[in-house]
Amino acid sequence: MSESRPSEASGRHSDDGLDPVIHAPARLRIVVTLAALRDGDNLSFTRLQDLIGLTPGNLVTHLRKLEDAGYVTTHKNGSGVTARTSVELTNGGRAALDQYTAVLRGLLDSAGGPAPDSGQ
Amino acid sequence: MSDETSINGGMAAAEAAAIMREQDQRARQAFQVSYRGSFVAWGAITLVGYGVTWLAVRNAHPVQGPNPIGFALVSVLGVASALAGRAEGRSDAGVGGATVWRRRVHVLALVVGLAAMYVLEGALYRAGAARPVLFVFEATAPILIAGLFYLTSSALWLNWPLAGFGLWLAVAAVGGAFAGPHGVWGVDALTAGLGFLLMAALEPRLRRTAGLGLRPS
Repeated sequence: MSESRPSEASGRHSDDGLDPVIHAPARLRIVVTLAALRDGDNLSFTRLQDLIGLTPGNLVTHLRKLEDAGYVTTHKNGSGVTARTSVELTNGGRAALDQYTAVLRGLLDSAGGPAPDSGQ
Repeated sequence: MSDETSINGGMAAAEAAAIMREQDQRARQAFQVSYRGSFVAWGAITLVGYGVTWLAVRNAHPVQGPNPIGFALVSVLGVASALAGRAEGRSDAGVGGATVWRRRVHVLALVVGLAAMYVLEGALYRAGAARPVLFVFEATAPILIAGLFYLTSSALWLNWPLAGFGLWLAVAAVGGAFAGPHGVWGVDALTAGLGFLLMAALEPRLRRTAGLGLRPS
């Protein structure tokens, strides 16, 4: 799954410099949602699904791509009906989102789009 | 949306920015803890409970000692606060990790503080503390504990308005004590009770809405 490899490691960015792993609506939503958590926190699969609005199958697919890229980690606790899968953004994932945001700002600036906000 | 911002025929930069803003806002709102419920609970109980107590004791001579109204008030306040805290905890649903533990320990500190107040008051009574002193303690301690609770909340969640409010409660509690065993109830009812209700009204505006740094297009 070459597309899902870390763009920094593989050197594969789009022509615009945007990370193709993040640059997909569903994965962008996932990463942004997890980034809204505080450092060291994780989110259950079901709450993430609720916030993103994807089917379980689609969410699993996108999470797998992000996990392959090293941007998120998933942990499964318990077994059977009490099993809880949690998802957490890695430091690499947070850095990748920061980089993605910076590139996006640059693109919007150069295109005469809305000015980037100074606050982060 | 400018064609210049489109990326290889895929999602455009402006579209990506819009998704980021929308999802960031949605997630932050979902994870944001609102203290409104506990502000209303504490505010109503402080304003009405302390106010009614003040009306009952303001002309009492000699000063009445620790009274059942005060104990009942603190008990109701504790239960109401716990219920409000439970409702506030809904924003934590599905969230695991350090934040959840921080919040649990923090709430535990409030419960321990209020429980310790009862025990301490009993110890003071047993040690022979005068009734007016116990009366003042009974009125001010819950407000002081609440103030310290919100002050430490602000440190945990980096919420400066909450820090200001915590300080206000602490100052109101300590300052109110100087009004004496009669006046303390009235002073605390106004300073703390109205403070809580004011915070409940202002809270939605005061919530932090830090974005990811992309303005709406």
